[in-house]
Amino acid sequence: MSAATADEVILDVRDLKVGFTVRAGRLPAVDGVDLTLRRGETLALVGESGSGKSALAMALVGLNRGPRTEIAGTADFHGENLLTARESRLRRIRGARIAVVFQDALAALNPLQRAGGQVVEMIRTHHQVPRAEAWRQTARLFGDVGIASPERSVRAYPHELSGGMRQRVMIALGLANNPEILIADEPTTALDVTIQAQVLQVLRDLQRDHGTAVILITHDLGVVAGVADRIAVMYAGRVVETGTREQVLFRPRHPYTRGLLASVPSLTGPVTGRLTAIGGSALTGVDRPPGCAFAPRCDLAGAGCSAPVPLLRRGTESGHLDACVAGGQP
Amino acid sequence: MRYAVRRLLAVIPVLLVLVTIVFLVMRWLPGSPASSLAAAGAGSSSTSQITASEAQIQAALGLNRPVLAQYGRFLWRLAHLDLGTSFFGDNSVLSLLGQALPATIELTIAAMLLAALIGSVPGVLAAWRKDSPLDVVIRSCATVSFSLPWFALGVLGIVIFGVQLKLLPTIGRLPSSLNYAPTTGFVLIDAIVQDRPALLGPWLQHLVLPATTLALSMAGYITRTVRAAVLEVRGEEFVRTARMKGLTERAIIARHVLRNASLPIVTVLGLQFGSLLGGALITEVVFSYPGVGDLLVNAVLERDYPVVQGAALAVAALYTLVNVGVDLLYLVLDPRLRKGVA
Repeated sequence: MSAATADEVILDVRDLKVGFTVRAGRLPAVDGVDLTLRRGETLALVGESGSGKSALAMALVGLNRGPRTEIAGTADFHGENLLTARESRLRRIRGARIAVVFQDALAALNPLQRAGGQVVEMIRTHHQVPRAEAWRQTARLFGDVGIASPERSVRAYPHELSGGMRQRVMIALGLANNPEILIADEPTTALDVTIQAQVLQVLRDLQRDHGTAVILITHDLGVVAGVADRIAVMYAGRVVETGTREQVLFRPRHPYTRGLLASVPSLTGPVTGRLTAIGGSALTGVDRPPGCAFAPRCDLAGAGCSAPVPLLRRGTESGHLDACVAGGQP
Repeated sequence: MRYAVRRLLAVIPVLLVLVTIVFLVMRWLPGSPASSLAAAGAGSSSTSQITASEAQIQAALGLNRPVLAQYGRFLWRLAHLDLGTSFFGDNSVLSLLGQALPATIELTIAAMLLAALIGSVPGVLAAWRKDSPLDVVIRSCATVSFSLPWFALGVLGIVIFGVQLKLLPTIGRLPSSLNYAPTTGFVLIDAIVQDRPALLGPWLQHLVLPATTLALSMAGYITRTVRAAVLEVRGEEFVRTARMKGLTERAIIARHVLRNASLPIVTVLGLQFGSLLGGALITEVVFSYPGVGDLLVNAVLERDYPVVQGAALAVAALYTLVNVGVDLLYLVLDPRLRKGVA
């Protein structure tokens, strides 16, 4: 990777909207999101369940297209809008240039196919490689992601591997064709904390070696603190705050981000008895009131918060944006 | 391998219970082979003469002995693989089955293959185009298919293709003019072994109507099963992974969905084989097709105990063997099941 391209934006998302038609009406899962992803960086999409982070990521690779899904906006990937690209075109991008690591590897791997065979299939879908050569590449990949005795493990079925090993297989699958973008959807949620750390380390090392940009979807701020370069905090389908890891984690501006950070238990601070929680629950229904979606749960909410949707606004630091009308001040 | 042997041994008690039930039911049925035989050979004899000869025949066949003694002798012979001799004519039950069973197996397999083909393809299509007009049409046809009784379908087939259009033969398995002398009893194999390809044309012509009749009545059920199985697998996360890999829809169906959907489909096909076999027995009667069904129905009417027992045993053995085969097929299809078995 040459220095000249280090800051190159490889994915530019503008006003992305994803709506699902449900019985009660149209559910705005993603409601106008702007994002940029630079070559080789890790962008963490943080938010609680139902905040739209997975819907956003799946829309980028066309994995949630369907009669009940409405997708609008642009996602510029090398001059091509991923959101409107034809399925046949997307097929050539998916797996080859943008890959996804799914959360639950046991469910995401085909139970009847050997672990290595699933990676071989991924390689041979996009490259004309002889079968034996693809198996050799797969065994090398298995070694790279830290799977013990890769030569034997490639022949194993998913149920014969441990949870941590399966997740590594999933990562090997994601990296098989050396993609420019890897979308990691809660890649460590199903794992023990120690295995989590190992898997994240593997992901980081490989990212550095290959110059892969990672979109890391998670609700775990501990994971974010460990690996993210930049963070976008999502709430009710919108990005409410975005900035570098330091800006968002250490100088949060939006009340929601502050609430999230305050609810993380500290290992070193005093034990206070109860964990801090944000009162109320997130908007997940069909009806969205105008104005800031977080206002009903916000301690700082005032009259200005019910005005039409607040936009991301520039804070005092460059690149640090938030969507609080009060500017995070009471 | 050990698992296979164990499964096969477990079949024996099942078959033993079955032959016992058949043995008892036959003897409890009113009427006896002796009275059939006596009446058949009576001509103009008086009632008392018939009664006298009936008693003689009872004694000759051993039917005057207590049921338990008869049962004991039956089991003793069965243990020596002796199914006895027909009360009517002097054919051993084994030789009768040797002729009839291949015909039934042929018919059942032909119907099964046909049903699997015309059942599963629309099932996959319906699942892949769920809620589309195509899906609705396929589902309706499936319902009609398994609501139709196969004997009615058989009669309809005979009337249209045999009687009206005169396209197909309506009775028998092969015209007698061919002088077919079975080696294995399976026409397809015999045609190769005896180097008589001329057998195949007439054989297929005779097979088409009964096999299609059976297959049509079964296909709808298969369609529904396949559709449900494919729909369920299609929602699985590994299908999304397959799509993420950039595979075409066709590759996703072939390599990921169908392989995983095959487990419930094979289960249902195995179970359906039983009702297909039952259907074959009835269809054989409709088409005067010389299989086990034909043999069994006549034997029941004549109270020909050894033949009924032998035929029931053969059909049951066939059915249980197929189900053992299905169990073994699971192991081939699903690596997760091999663990506890190996």
